[in-house]
Amino acid sequence: MQDRPLKILIADDTPTNIKQMEVVVRRLGHEPVVATDGLQAIAVYEREAPDMVFMDINMPRLDGISAVRRIREIDAGSKWTPIVFVSALDGIEDIVKGIEAGGDDYIVKPASLSMLRARINGYSRLLRLQRELEIRREQSEEQAQLGAHVMDRLTDAEGLRDPIQQHFNIPAETFSGDLLCAARAPGDVFSVMLADATGHGLPAALTALPLTQAFYSMTAKGFPLSSIAEELNRKLKAILPPDRFVAATLASVDVRNQTVEVWNGGNPAALFVTQEGMVAMRWISRHPPLGILTDGQFSGATDTAVFNEPGELLLCSDGLIEAENHDGTWLNEEGVMRLLGQGTERRLRFDNLRRGVDGHLGGRPARDDISCMMVALPVERRRKHRVASPGIVEHKGEVQAWRMELSYGAGELRYIDVVPAVLGFLTQVNILRNHQGTLFLIVSELFSNALDYGLLGLDSSTKDWIGGFDIYMQQRAERLSALRSGRIDLAFEVHQQGRHAVLDICVSDTGPGFAYRGVLADSERDEGLQRPQWRGIPLVKSLCSELVYSGSGNKVRARYILSEIAAADGTEPLKEVVAAPWGNQGSGDGMILFEDPC
Amino acid sequence: MQISSNVSGGKANLGLSGRFDFHSHREFRSAYEKLLETDGVREVEIDFGGVDYLDSSALGMLLLLREKAESTGKTVSLSGLKGTVKQVLDIANFGKLFAIKG
Repeated sequence: MQDRPLKILIADDTPTNIKQMEVVVRRLGHEPVVATDGLQAIAVYEREAPDMVFMDINMPRLDGISAVRRIREIDAGSKWTPIVFVSALDGIEDIVKGIEAGGDDYIVKPASLSMLRARINGYSRLLRLQRELEIRREQSEEQAQLGAHVMDRLTDAEGLRDPIQQHFNIPAETFSGDLLCAARAPGDVFSVMLADATGHGLPAALTALPLTQAFYSMTAKGFPLSSIAEELNRKLKAILPPDRFVAATLASVDVRNQTVEVWNGGNPAALFVTQEGMVAMRWISRHPPLGILTDGQFSGATDTAVFNEPGELLLCSDGLIEAENHDGTWLNEEGVMRLLGQGTERRLRFDNLRRGVDGHLGGRPARDDISCMMVALPVERRRKHRVASPGIVEHKGEVQAWRMELSYGAGELRYIDVVPAVLGFLTQVNILRNHQGTLFLIVSELFSNALDYGLLGLDSSTKDWIGGFDIYMQQRAERLSALRSGRIDLAFEVHQQGRHAVLDICVSDTGPGFAYRGVLADSERDEGLQRPQWRGIPLVKSLCSELVYSGSGNKVRARYILSEIAAADGTEPLKEVVAAPWGNQGSGDGMILFEDPC
Repeated sequence: MQISSNVSGGKANLGLSGRFDFHSHREFRSAYEKLLETDGVREVEIDFGGVDYLDSSALGMLLLLREKAESTGKTVSLSGLKGTVKQVLDIANFGKLFAIKG
């Protein structure tokens, strides 16, 4: 940095002293300003804002010591200006008094020219460093503010305003290195992520940022948590230095199946909290944080639990558990539960927790970023399925026929997430685009029936036992990884059927099939609908105009009405069929036929 | 944080005590770099017996050490884990990355 001339205040009541010092100051390229007593020194100081001060002690009206005390009071906390006493008083106690009054230095008169020059040059260097520091501080403040603004926009998402969840985030610095993501996934699933990057502030937030886009795009396509975790890990491993990582909890709340699925790598336990204020389930960290392990070492294994009573999933970063009160005591999990209390009003309980954390901190800033998210899991008997209305899209003309066939062998089935991949294709097609949510439900039900029951031979009644869901999922994982033969074929065809544009979805597998007549008859009855394994078929039936099983039960065709065709004169716009709960598709409750499909 | 180190045979021991956090970066690195350069050292054991606090940047330093050690064919183990130090390492599942000794 270029040295700029300094403005130097010389306060002395002896004209020759002033003259002599002015000469030195000018010769060094600086600008002198002058005062001849203490009061004047204060006035000139306030008016001229000098960079440095030479102050005599014995002066009329007000002495130098008192003038310096006053100057330090004026500047208190806002800036520092070096002040050097120049005095004939040479006792130790005089020097100490001067320094204690706020002086930085003390020169005993008569001051030699070389002594004055050395002091001016020394403080000039110090002031330059101070200026550099000040500029750095301003730059970093500006960067932090810009960072906070951009980060706010980049991480904002509709899911974070969804009433099913509540969250708070208390940053340790200008902004938080903790990242919260929330989104509705296809089906009645709500997915969230709470990520905590090493450190805090801008570097930490930057570290966690690459996760958002991948999380949202994969969640929207219906990828399972394990695949999302793998992808996030791969991404971070590729871009982060070895000493940086991101602790993360990913969770999916499936309202229809009443399950909560969690992947926790490096965060405090995720909790399922009942309205009675009890912890019904803890998902402790089972994996190292994201960004450490290679693809081969990484595990996306999740833990799933089924719930029959209403409650909430609570995720938090270690900042919440380790939040310290005035005597350094951590809040801990017990403290969180105590603050949360009990009751059915979840907003109230959440507010209690939020306020309780503030109370625990007692006005001191948090030492680490604190974040917390709660997701409600409502329980409703015989829950009706909600399907987002696709809305009316006006388009005219012929239905453009479209067909796609896919065939997956055992090798691919072991590792490909077939349903999201297929949905990726389907949603490229204009006429299907607005039906994404419904199509996901139909395709995922039919596909998982073909895979789980057809090829893997799983017994769906396992899910009925207490703890059976875990056993079922474990068996599924084991059998899938051991799958060596078998095939699932999928066909999709858009065509015109009478006054309707329809999509036919055919799924067949090479498994032994099942006694579909009995199952379907059962599923018509109420008690059938209560059992998890039959929930899928009536759901598909309700969304489609036809559901047709054939062969030995290993082939199924679902017909889904996309829209009504406009009248021949083309004046009436094509009317989209709005998917509605249970039995919306023309034929009342839907039809199940027994014939050869496809 | 205080660091003591000794080498016997192929094994080096780094004994840590105090707070192991962001501020320990330089001294921890210079301590382990010296050990990794020492001929014949095949294993570095980090003894946490005297550590009463560990933060996430300390975990980062351990990962850095692990990477440096592995690139020269050496192993890193952790010992003397108890209390909050053990808790922090457990939550991060560092048992899957390092050998843990009693």
